[in-house]
Amino acid sequence: MITLERRANVTHWTSLRSIGIALIITMLVSVLVLFIMSDQPAQAIWQMLTFPWQGRRMEVQLGLVLQQTAYLATIAIGLSVGFRANVWNIGAEGQFALGSIGAYTGYLLLGSPETLWALPAILAAGMIGGCLWALIPAALRVTCNTNELLTSLMLVYIGGHLLTYLCIGPWKGDPKAGQAETYPLPDSLRPATLISGTELHAGLFILLVAFIILAAILLFTLLGYRLRVAQHTPRAERFAGFSPNNTVWMSFAISGAMAGLAGAVYMTAETGKLIQAENYLENFGFAAIVIAFLGRLNPIGILLAAFMISYVNVGASYIQAALRVDDSVADLIEVAALFSFLGTATLDQYQLKFTRTLRKSRGPEVLS
Amino acid sequence: MSVDSIFLLKLLTAAILLATPLLLAALGELVVEKSGVLNLGVEGMMLIGALFGYIAAYNLQTITCLEELVPGFCQKEERVFTFADYIIALLAAATAGALLAAVFGFLTQGLRANHVAVGLGLSILGAGLSNSLGSNFFGVNYTSVQVADHPEVFGKDALVWFSLAAVPTIWYVLQRTRLGLVIRAVGENHDSAYALGYRVSRIRFYCILFGGAMAGLAGAFIVLVHVDWKEGVTVGKGWLALALILFGTWRPMRVLCGAYIFGLLWASELRLDNLFPAWQLEWKTLLTTAPYLLTIIVLVLISRNPRMIRQNAPASLGKPFNPPS
Repeated sequence: MITLERRANVTHWTSLRSIGIALIITMLVSVLVLFIMSDQPAQAIWQMLTFPWQGRRMEVQLGLVLQQTAYLATIAIGLSVGFRANVWNIGAEGQFALGSIGAYTGYLLLGSPETLWALPAILAAGMIGGCLWALIPAALRVTCNTNELLTSLMLVYIGGHLLTYLCIGPWKGDPKAGQAETYPLPDSLRPATLISGTELHAGLFILLVAFIILAAILLFTLLGYRLRVAQHTPRAERFAGFSPNNTVWMSFAISGAMAGLAGAVYMTAETGKLIQAENYLENFGFAAIVIAFLGRLNPIGILLAAFMISYVNVGASYIQAALRVDDSVADLIEVAALFSFLGTATLDQYQLKFTRTLRKSRGPEVLS
Repeated sequence: MSVDSIFLLKLLTAAILLATPLLLAALGELVVEKSGVLNLGVEGMMLIGALFGYIAAYNLQTITCLEELVPGFCQKEERVFTFADYIIALLAAATAGALLAAVFGFLTQGLRANHVAVGLGLSILGAGLSNSLGSNFFGVNYTSVQVADHPEVFGKDALVWFSLAAVPTIWYVLQRTRLGLVIRAVGENHDSAYALGYRVSRIRFYCILFGGAMAGLAGAFIVLVHVDWKEGVTVGKGWLALALILFGTWRPMRVLCGAYIFGLLWASELRLDNLFPAWQLEWKTLLTTAPYLLTIIVLVLISRNPRMIRQNAPASLGKPFNPPS
């Protein structure tokens, strides 16, 4: 019989060890998944690990990885603020969409400017859009005690349909396009590409700066301390004079603004226009939830987790093209990682104890 | 029959088709939540149940090629899809759902991981697994496969009657039997239940398995009776089922009413095309948000009365259980 027993002393070493165990489990499961899903498993595993060096230009593939890392890490660190305080915002996908819509609204409100100087205002409009959308579940939670998890999720579906509506209806662009979309932004307004031929552009730097600012706030300020208190002991939070309602407001505002900023950068840099939801949203908002937990809600962990998951995602689409392996292997590896990290997190505080099963005696037994 | 009554009849039939999977999944999750566990993976378990129910029915209905065994021999023969076959397909779906739920149970009960995080992961896992297995099984660009007509009992699908019968059964078991008392005790106060000698984690694990099996059945109903399998066929019904439990304040009868109200509203919204053919596409796009908007409104109305929630919600719902050692 295996039981869990609380550890007497928890050190950094124990948590490093459990992360190591989780990584090993993840790799074993990934190898297993590739063995089942692929005709040439050895080649699939090799290409998955080394795909940036398989193509002609390494920086192209690595650029794709870093691009995804930036979006995922930005959204995930925003979400981690709420998750620390047991505030469950799982609607980042919708806030991402509304960030894009907000940015396009800003562009239209400014009278379709052509100069690069309008870009900060447009990005700010996107942040406001995502933030306002996230404040709906926060307001409902604070005033009506509604479950924020379900409302924020429902708002994802509503936000997606709103995006499609805008592309079909009021902001309809070129009718000859194969999909519903708006007119594109002028090229002069879009963040410049840093290395030609790659997906690395100035917009990713904006995301990186936002990430660093929020990480610094969480790690080094009183606000971050307050959120850590809320995570570990909700009662202590109240004794220390912090209001739970304010925590709800703040975590939704921050996570919404971060997702909105990611959406705004995505709209200006990647697509340059709004497109109907099915072809526009790439599930960054949902993947970010996984990444927030993989990184154990820690800014540095989140950055590493975002890089790892992006590497797997881009690698999966590479081997889909090269070896015809369905790219949902990425989803499976992602969840395998999540489960092994969540499962082994228990080992930080508990240790497995192997004991002999005590058989229940049924009445007094006669010794012979 | 006049045109109006035919229209109403069609609307009612559509409502039953939409409400039954909601009801099945919500009833399973109700038992899970009564035992104090919050499983957010309903959507994933429904998708897996849907896929396996569909694969089982497909295999039972057609005897496919035996080319690998006998070269040149390829016979695709249609079989009559009997009631027994239907039951086998449903059992396959329920088992698949329960197996996925077992993963959740192992992580949350065995390893004491966070319910919310594992549940969200389970939804992603169910979607990813059903997509990859589905495209592996049917090929990436398969054309829809027609599962033969499902057998009917009294003009309605057998599963409809099963879901309706499950409502009083679950109520009776939870409120009037020893088993129900134990489940509720575990959900209300796991420390006291543990002190009384009940194996909290094990009881919860069985409840989680039951919830998974019911979610699997709900998924199977969607693909066997309503529409063909495609990726993401459940369109968020698992999440609506979670909202339904709040709507029904953890009472089976109210959950039943809620499921049929939702089904009726959803069905009438789908039929708006017939009522207002002149409406533009853009307005219809906005109208498809109606079920989600309605869920939010209902949640607000329910939650505004905190006493209702506090009286009915299991007190230990979603709280981590660390037995004293």
